[in-house]
Amino acid sequence: MPVDISYYVILSAVLFFIGVAGVILRRNPLIVLMSIELIFNAANLALVAFAREWSNNAGHIFAFLVITVAAAEAAIGLAIVVVVFRRSKNVDVDEVAGLRG
Amino acid sequence: MPPFVMPFGTSDWSAVLPLSVVALTPLLVLLLDLILPKAMRRGAAVTIAALGLIAGGLLALQGWGHPFAAFGGGFVNGGFTIVFEEVIVAGALISLLLATHLGRDDQSGGAIALLLWSASGAMLLAGAANLMTIFLGLELLSLALYCLCGLSSRPSAREASLKYLILSSTASGFMLYGMALLFGATGSVQLAALLAPPASTTLFTLGCGLFMIGFAFKLSLVPFHVWTPDVYEGAPLPVTAFMSIVTKAGALAVIARFAYAALPQPQAQAILIPLWILAALSMIAGNVAALAQTDMKRLLAYSGIAQLGYVVAALAGTTALGLRYAIFYLIAYMFMNLGAFAVVALLSREHEEGSRLSAFAGLGYRQPALAAAMTFFLMGLAGLPPTAGFIGKILILSSSVDAGYAWLAGVLIVGTAISAYVYFKIVRAMYARTTGADIQRAVKPASLLPWLGVGICAVAILVLGLYPVAPSDVLPLVK
Repeated sequence: MPVDISYYVILSAVLFFIGVAGVILRRNPLIVLMSIELIFNAANLALVAFAREWSNNAGHIFAFLVITVAAAEAAIGLAIVVVVFRRSKNVDVDEVAGLRG
Repeated sequence: MPPFVMPFGTSDWSAVLPLSVVALTPLLVLLLDLILPKAMRRGAAVTIAALGLIAGGLLALQGWGHPFAAFGGGFVNGGFTIVFEEVIVAGALISLLLATHLGRDDQSGGAIALLLWSASGAMLLAGAANLMTIFLGLELLSLALYCLCGLSSRPSAREASLKYLILSSTASGFMLYGMALLFGATGSVQLAALLAPPASTTLFTLGCGLFMIGFAFKLSLVPFHVWTPDVYEGAPLPVTAFMSIVTKAGALAVIARFAYAALPQPQAQAILIPLWILAALSMIAGNVAALAQTDMKRLLAYSGIAQLGYVVAALAGTTALGLRYAIFYLIAYMFMNLGAFAVVALLSREHEEGSRLSAFAGLGYRQPALAAAMTFFLMGLAGLPPTAGFIGKILILSSSVDAGYAWLAGVLIVGTAISAYVYFKIVRAMYARTTGADIQRAVKPASLLPWLGVGICAVAILVLGLYPVAPSDVLPLVK
C-alpha cells in the first residue's frame, strides 16, 4: 500500500525540530554534533521523499552528496572536539567560554 | 546497449578551470612540504599558493564575454561569476601575504593548502546555479575554515574553532532543509526552476525563508551575527582576514544570484523584504556594538557586520545598477578591510597578535608611515573622500533611493555617522600625545610581506576613489 508523501515530510520536519532543539538545549558537544547530523538527515529524508513524488532522481543524488559531506563534517567536528577537550576531564560547551560571545 | 558517452565536454570543464587550478595547487604545496628542508617550507608554500591563485585569476578572465551554463546548469560562467572569482582570488592573495603568522612552521604547508581549498569552495559558490553546487561549494568553503580557525597555540583559537563548527554547521543544516523544501516545491534542483510558479506555495515560502536564514548567517547579518566577533578574535589573523572577505564574497554571490535571477517576478520583492530589514539592522547594530570594543579584530568584526549591511542594502529593489554598486562597494571593502588587517599584522610580535587597541596608542609617533596608512584605511571604512569607501557609499545611497528604498538610505546615513566615531577613536589613539609608560617600543615585524599588502590596498582605495569603475555586464544568470 503506498504511503502518502505528507507522512514522510511530517516525519522529516519532526526530525528537523528535534535536531534544532538538541543544538539549542544540549550542552555536550558530542550530542550537539549528533543533533546537527539529525538536521542533515531530516533534509535527506525530505529530499528522497520529494524525489519519489516528482520522479526526479536529482533528489536521490543530492541525498548521497549530503551523506558524503556530512561524514566529512563529522570527522572534522570530532577532531575539533578532541583538540578542545583534551585537557579538561568533563565535556561541556559551557566550559568553553573564554570569549565573550 | 547504448555506447558510453561522456556526459560533459571540454567546454564544461573549461568553465571550472580557474577553480580547479586553485583546488589542485594545494596538492603541489603539500608535496613540496614533504620534500623541502624545514627552513624553506613556508616560503615555498606561500610562493606556490600565490602563483596558483594568480593563474586561477588570469584563467577566469579569459571567460569574459562568453556567458554559458556548464554541467547541465550546475555552474554558470559569465561576468557575474568572473567578478566574484576575481574578488575571491584577490582576497585570498592578500590574506596569504599575512600568512607568516599562520600556524607553526611544520603546519604551514597544510594551513596554506586549506586556505586555497577554502578559496576554491568560494569560487564554486560564485558560479553555482543549482542547489547541489551551492551546498557543495559552501561546505568546501566551511570545512576547510573550521580547521584553519584552530591553527594557533592560543586556547581561544580552539574555542573559536568549536564555536564556528557548531554554529556554522547548524546554519548549513537550516539552509539544506530549506533546499529540500524548495526541491519539494518545484521538483528540480536548478535555481532556474524557482522562476516557474511553485506547485506548493507553503513549501516554497518556508524553503526560501530557511535558505535565506542560512545565508544571512554566513553573511553575519544581524541577528545571525553572534558568532562573528568570537570567531574573528579567536582565529589566527590571516584566517580572520580571509574569512572577512572570501566567505562573504562567496555567500553574497549566492544570495545575489538567488535574489536577482531565481525568483518569480511578482512575488520576488515581497520574499526579499526580510533581507533588506536584516541589512538595516546590521548597519545600526554592527556599528553600535563596535563602539564598545577594545580589540581590533572584534572591532573589525562588528564593523564588517555593518559594512556587509551596506553591501546588501545596495541590492534592495534588485536593480541592475544596485548590483554593480554592491560589487563596487564589496571590492572597496575588501581593500579597506584587508589593509587594516595588514596593519595589525605589522604590529604583531612572534607570539602575540597586535590587535589590542592599546597597541595603537602613540603609533603616529613611533611608526608614522604605518599610522598614516591605517588612518587612510579607517577613513575609507568611515566613508570619507578621497577614498573608494566614500564613492561606494554615495553610489549605494543613490541606487537605494532610486529603487524606492529611501528608508534604507536613511538607515545607512545614521549607521555611517555612528561608525565615524568608532573609526576616529582609533585615529585619535594613534595621534594623541600620551604621557607615562603607556608608549610601547616600535615592533619589528616578523616579515615585511604585510607591507606589500598595505601598499596594494592603499593604492587600490585611492585609485578606485578617484576613478570609480563599477564593472558592467554583471547580471547573474541561472541558465
